[in-house]
Amino acid sequence: MKRTSGERVILWTLPAVAVIWIAAFFLFPGFVRPMSPRSSAAEVAAFYRNHTARIRYSMILLNWFCVALIPILMLIVERMRGMAHRTPILRFCMIGVAGAAPIAFLTATVFWLLAAFQPERPPELTQLLNDLAWVTFTCGVPFLVAQCGFLAMAIYFDRQDHPVFPRWVGRFNIVIAIALIPAGFAGLTKTGVFAWDGLVSFWAKNVAIALWIIVMSVVLARVIERDADAADNAAIAG
Amino acid sequence: MSPVALRDNPKRELWLAWGATVFFYNLYAVVFFVFTHIQPPGQPWYSPDQARTWFSHHHDGLLIGLALIFVFGGLSATSIALITYSIRRMSVSRAFSYSYLIIYSVSAVPGFLFICVALTAGAMRPDRSPQLQHWLYQLGFLSFSGTMGVFLIGSLVWMTAILLDRNGVFPKWFGYLNLCNALTEVVVSPSWIFKTGVFPWNGLIAWWIDVFVFGIYTGVFITLLRGFIIREDFGTGPLPPAPHWRFWATEPAEAGS
Repeated sequence: MKRTSGERVILWTLPAVAVIWIAAFFLFPGFVRPMSPRSSAAEVAAFYRNHTARIRYSMILLNWFCVALIPILMLIVERMRGMAHRTPILRFCMIGVAGAAPIAFLTATVFWLLAAFQPERPPELTQLLNDLAWVTFTCGVPFLVAQCGFLAMAIYFDRQDHPVFPRWVGRFNIVIAIALIPAGFAGLTKTGVFAWDGLVSFWAKNVAIALWIIVMSVVLARVIERDADAADNAAIAG
Repeated sequence: MSPVALRDNPKRELWLAWGATVFFYNLYAVVFFVFTHIQPPGQPWYSPDQARTWFSHHHDGLLIGLALIFVFGGLSATSIALITYSIRRMSVSRAFSYSYLIIYSVSAVPGFLFICVALTAGAMRPDRSPQLQHWLYQLGFLSFSGTMGVFLIGSLVWMTAILLDRNGVFPKWFGYLNLCNALTEVVVSPSWIFKTGVFPWNGLIAWWIDVFVFGIYTGVFITLLRGFIIREDFGTGPLPPAPHWRFWATEPAEAGS
């Protein structure tokens, strides 16, 4: 089996897990209309009591499948081997942050599941777990920001006639990194666009992540096909 | 160095990672010591009411400082990547470099994300009940001081690689300094047990000595990494000495020895 065949298998897991991610996103009632950080402890506790099943099932799905992004990130890391770099430093940087972002999200799902495990506990405890989940989910962007930065730099330095990724992919990653940064400041306010349910910290951040996954998977698919064709041609020529 | 010169410099990735490392550790020091006053740490023996007051007093600094860590924290990967690369340059198995990379990478979530999340959650709601603020306070400081194994084993992996290396990538004395750093993770363990005296998370042993050793260790490895980049020739075998850095460099082993 060719190397790219296995890579195609990994790549084609993405549409499947994307369907699950989207389904889980809409299944969790706290995302469709983002939960407000201004809710009282009693309101938060009522939310967990009224939507217990949906919270549990959506978070079990996300807990299972958020880590499914890591093999996709490793496809990018493998492509980076072909870049015109003198050292594997940027590849190591990518590996260093690739695990942490999904694990941070996984930690958030644990807090949500814990809150839903016993919705009748004192409301203030439920609110605490809910706060920990939302802060981890919203502010936990450092690894994603760095990942986009490392990838943009790697593409910028890939100076060769046929670069691995087109130049615009580097600029696209910079734009995504900038869109993610404000979410890190979500702890500073409970109202407005920067709050964890706000336009910037929730919608801009999550749309940016979704867009990144879509664009990078299309770009990856093209590059993997190109590499597969090159390998076939080399085999015929040989 | 102009952008164009940097782009064409064969060591550009190494220098950028090194610069990002310097930036990250300086930011870390400013945020933890100046903005948030997380260091030196709060008192471990605080009552629930005192912990609640601590959050109220540090409210703005905590939220602004920790937000900066939420944004730039991923740059911690640059020093890990450089050290991983330095181990690859040694005459040891790649198992050492990959072990270091994975151990330090997983440390990010318990080692610094937990304290940021716990103290942000505490500062966001200073009117929360004292018992819950107390729990967040302890979660923050204990997860930060008490994430020990990754740094213990990680330092020992780096130490072993340096001591076995025959390419002269780092001086042998630095291998033993790694042992000092590893030992700080041993002596910090009583902070999970004691609230007063020299052993708790702010005590003479678990904080003052640890920070002193960690500060020297970090300063030394950043300096040594700079020397390593200057000497790097992208070859295999012994690393050539740099003319201006011989005062610390060990003599590379004879080729073929």
